[in-house]
Amino acid sequence: MREQLEQLRHEALKTVSDASSEETLQEARIRFLGRKGELTALMKGLGGLSADERPVVGQLVNSIRDEIENLFETALSAERERATVSRLQSERIDITLPGRRALRGSKHPITQVIAEVSEIFAGFGFSVAEGPEIEHDWYNFEALNFPPEHPARDMQDTFFTENSLLLRTHTSPVQIRTMLKTKPPLRIIAPGTVYRCDSDATHSPMFHQIEGLMIDKDVSFADLKGILTIFTNQLFGQKTGVRLRPSFFPFTEPSAEVDIACVICGGKGCRVCKQTGWLEILGAGMVDPEVYHHVNYDAEDISGFAFGMGIERIAMLKYGIRDMRLLFENDVRFLRQF
Amino acid sequence: MKVTYNWLKEFVDFDQSPEQLADLLTMLGLEVEGMENYGAGMDQVVVAVVEEKRQHPNADKLSVCRVNNGREIVDVVCGAQNFKAGDIVALAQIGAVLPGDFKIKRSKIRGEESCGMLCSEKELGLAEESAGIMILPPTLVPGTPVFESLGLKDTFFEIGLTPNRADCLSVIGVAREIAAKIGTSVKCNRIAVPEHGPSINSSITVSVEDSELCPRYAARAVHGCRIAPSPEWLVNRLAAVGVRSINNVVDVTNLVMMELGQPLHAFDCDQLVDSRIVVRRALEGEIFTTLDSQQRVLVASDLVICDAGGPVALAGIMGGENSEINDSTTSILLESAWFKPAAIRTTSKRLGLHTESSHRFERGTDIDGVIRALDRAAALVAELAGGTVAQGFIDVYPVKSVPPAISFRPERANALLGIKLSSKVMIDILRGLECSVTEMTDGILMVTPPSYRIDIEREIDLVEEIARLNGYDNIPASMPIARVISDRPSLHQRLESMLRNILVAHGMNEIINFSFTTPDAADKLLMSDVDPRRSVIKLANPLVEEQSVMRTSLIPGLLEAVAKNISHRSLDLRLFEMRRVYINRQNEEMPHEPIYLVGAFTGAREREGWGNSRDSIDFYDAKGVVENLLEELHISNVKWVVDTPETFYHPGKSCSIMVGKERLGTIGEIHPTVQKNFGLEKPVFCFELYFEKLVVLHRLKAAIVVPSRFPDSTRDLAMLASDCLSAEKILETVKGIKAQEIEHAEIFDVYKGAGIPTGFKSIAIRIRYRSYDRTLTDDEINIIHSRITENLVSKLKVSIR
Ligand SMILES: [Zn+2]
Repeated sequence: MREQLEQLRHEALKTVSDASSEETLQEARIRFLGRKGELTALMKGLGGLSADERPVVGQLVNSIRDEIENLFETALSAERERATVSRLQSERIDITLPGRRALRGSKHPITQVIAEVSEIFAGFGFSVAEGPEIEHDWYNFEALNFPPEHPARDMQDTFFTENSLLLRTHTSPVQIRTMLKTKPPLRIIAPGTVYRCDSDATHSPMFHQIEGLMIDKDVSFADLKGILTIFTNQLFGQKTGVRLRPSFFPFTEPSAEVDIACVICGGKGCRVCKQTGWLEILGAGMVDPEVYHHVNYDAEDISGFAFGMGIERIAMLKYGIRDMRLLFENDVRFLRQF
Repeated sequence: MKVTYNWLKEFVDFDQSPEQLADLLTMLGLEVEGMENYGAGMDQVVVAVVEEKRQHPNADKLSVCRVNNGREIVDVVCGAQNFKAGDIVALAQIGAVLPGDFKIKRSKIRGEESCGMLCSEKELGLAEESAGIMILPPTLVPGTPVFESLGLKDTFFEIGLTPNRADCLSVIGVAREIAAKIGTSVKCNRIAVPEHGPSINSSITVSVEDSELCPRYAARAVHGCRIAPSPEWLVNRLAAVGVRSINNVVDVTNLVMMELGQPLHAFDCDQLVDSRIVVRRALEGEIFTTLDSQQRVLVASDLVICDAGGPVALAGIMGGENSEINDSTTSILLESAWFKPAAIRTTSKRLGLHTESSHRFERGTDIDGVIRALDRAAALVAELAGGTVAQGFIDVYPVKSVPPAISFRPERANALLGIKLSSKVMIDILRGLECSVTEMTDGILMVTPPSYRIDIEREIDLVEEIARLNGYDNIPASMPIARVISDRPSLHQRLESMLRNILVAHGMNEIINFSFTTPDAADKLLMSDVDPRRSVIKLANPLVEEQSVMRTSLIPGLLEAVAKNISHRSLDLRLFEMRRVYINRQNEEMPHEPIYLVGAFTGAREREGWGNSRDSIDFYDAKGVVENLLEELHISNVKWVVDTPETFYHPGKSCSIMVGKERLGTIGEIHPTVQKNFGLEKPVFCFELYFEKLVVLHRLKAAIVVPSRFPDSTRDLAMLASDCLSAEKILETVKGIKAQEIEHAEIFDVYKGAGIPTGFKSIAIRIRYRSYDRTLTDDEINIIHSRITENLVSKLKVSIR
């Protein structure tokens, strides 16, 4: 009996190590351990043993059964694991094939720059104001202290309509319209489309500006410098150098051109900055008392500043665009990059 | 405006290098836009003496010269004939680079060694044409660079002047700015005029009839002049600031204008009828021929300078042919005057005649500088043209101009600028600008600007001068105290940005077209003759015909963008534009500028790719985008009404988008003829939405529907229906039974073709049933479903398949 049991154990070991699939293992397991299996058959012989031997051999049978069971369990789970690995291996796909992409749309770069600038100024408490593009001479020029027949009008080549209105040459008339209906204090920016009869690589007959205006008690030129420095740092990066230099606009005094250190060469001098290391991006100044006079503000009581910038200019600097006309060609190969 | 470094040095002493000077001027508001180092790199062209000149052995027209360059004697082959041994010449040595990137190398010319080149003025860039080589004055020292020894080495500055700085349209003006900044003053010597013979009054009389437009008119006469080409220095000096030499007299007037900013005019005195000058307004329709041989028709607002016979000059703008200086002129009348800026500008603009003279007069010249300029010119004419200046001068100046006395509060300047300058520093700055300053007891300063600073009239103008001279760099940067909080963007602004986001999420690219368009845009869209969009706003001065009217529709620009992209082989397009159109209004001066939103779809529905379909996009793709957009704006009860809304759509594939009686917009396939008009081969689907209507109909989402927790059950229903029966009708009929258990009904298949009789279509709908409070039983669903089926059959005459 002991020999038979030992024999069985031996056979089971060999069968497990020879088995090549889950099925053969399962079959062998039933053959050894099943209800009609070989171990059960052997156990029927227990009855013929003496009362002394029976518990000893019985114990032996149990321990051999446990051993064989463990053997099969381990082998089966190893086999399952191997099968899974091999199945997953066979399911491999080419992950380098491009993804199935939905169409990606885009906002025009001009729209994006306007949004970005507006967002920065919203942080400074500036609200957005708007006005008409087809304007009266009074709002576009006279109220902004461009008297008729003044050479300052030559600074802006104007489109006129046949019924003697004009296409606004800057967003500054929005200043006038806002001041006429609002009392100080006020902080506004006015993004919009403007027009000048001029067309080449750096001029487009239609382009975009953002006008800013702040009026309050005791606003100074130093405040203007502060706001514009923080603005340019937020737009172009923390360390961007800013320079204000004297200039002239009829509706501000003192007036300034605002330059930033060239973002292309870092101030060393290159073609874009004409070797000066500086890029002009803004015009600004303290609101001229003559303007207050036109909108019935008391110039002794309040003070303020105004500024204006070309959106195309900023977009060109931000994205390294050389020719402004590219912005209005509506070529999707260009637009899809935004 | 051009000035040169050397010329400025004649008026003010300064130590700054050209680069430092450019920076100083820019930071004063005189922006240096360009610099040219004249003569830089020409140091290899040196003064040399021709020691010996002999015939070239192998060429008749060449000579071989032995030339002393101050260090050694070299051989140079030369083709010019206009020189002899002993002449001083300009030798370009080996290594010199002449204008036009012409490099001088050692060479052999017909067997003879040549170590350099003898240069002509043309080759050195000193003249446009020249005959033979340049012969230099015998006083020059051999070996020294030619440009240096002729005093030609200089730096030219191009200054972008702002229109307020009329005073800086001259060398002395720029010099004054430098002087004020560095704390010195300009050199302004007394001019000695050598007067001889009879008084000017014996040769000319002047009467000014319009002293409003001409408050001051001065003149001097110079007799016995010889008109000749100007000397080299004068030609070069004028060339440096971009003025072409004419003759010695005209050049003197130009030189003085460049130097002092006062435009002058020289008349041929003998051509003035009756030796009279009358300053008056032109007669309406008076005809006058200017120096440039153009006939000008004048109007009564023009100011003219006349003799007894009629106009001889257009005041401050240009002289006339009839009194022009010519080679036989001997007597000269020099005019120096002050004209009213606006009058000069009006005439100059009307005639399209812009001159150096009108440029200065219309910006405002120095009324106190009139005589100094006249004296300087008379003295120079006498010197260069060999004439004698008549005794005295004429000066018609009835009302002396007095510059304003401005009261100036130093503490106001500090407050406006955000600085803390003492009154004393401010006084120094103002005096440095040649203002006269009186301190009042209350700290207020009474400031009178110099006569040439016509831009300084008010306290704020003085504040600017303080800021400028003290330096913008010396103003600190501070943050204003906020007493305002910004408004939330308006509904209008928020919706604009929301719409853009929705369209971008649908794969659409935003475009921006010009607001002006071509006048035939309405024709291309087949718009009817009475279409109000034909009443466009026209530009009076368009750049080109294609940009001459303000657009009333965004569709033409959109279709052009589609066509242009297709020509670049970008075939699958989804474009949108959201911008203004410009609508004329009856009885209102200002046009209406509503925002429209348009979109165009063409090409394939999906992106090109290995797993994507290449099916063509169609009407329903466009409609789907609009449906999503309206849903996101919570605009409900939208009706798609077949009413042939626009001529530019296919009549069978277009509709209006309505809410109640409000039309929100339209959608459709572009009409084949319009498609052709824009050069498009494939169908294009467009929508047009009126932004203002969307703003009005837009609703905030009030409440959401809580999803049911119970299971759903779906039933399909296929039917054969007349081709004319709309999907909308079928769905309305389904929902018409008003059973709460119908959660959703949609059309999932539409089929026409094989197996379906002509005039019919097969339509399949799927209805999803679900209750909020229980699981529906089959029986319950069957009852509702058969009511739907019966309704469809009885009301719509469909047959169930
Ligand atoms: Zn640069």
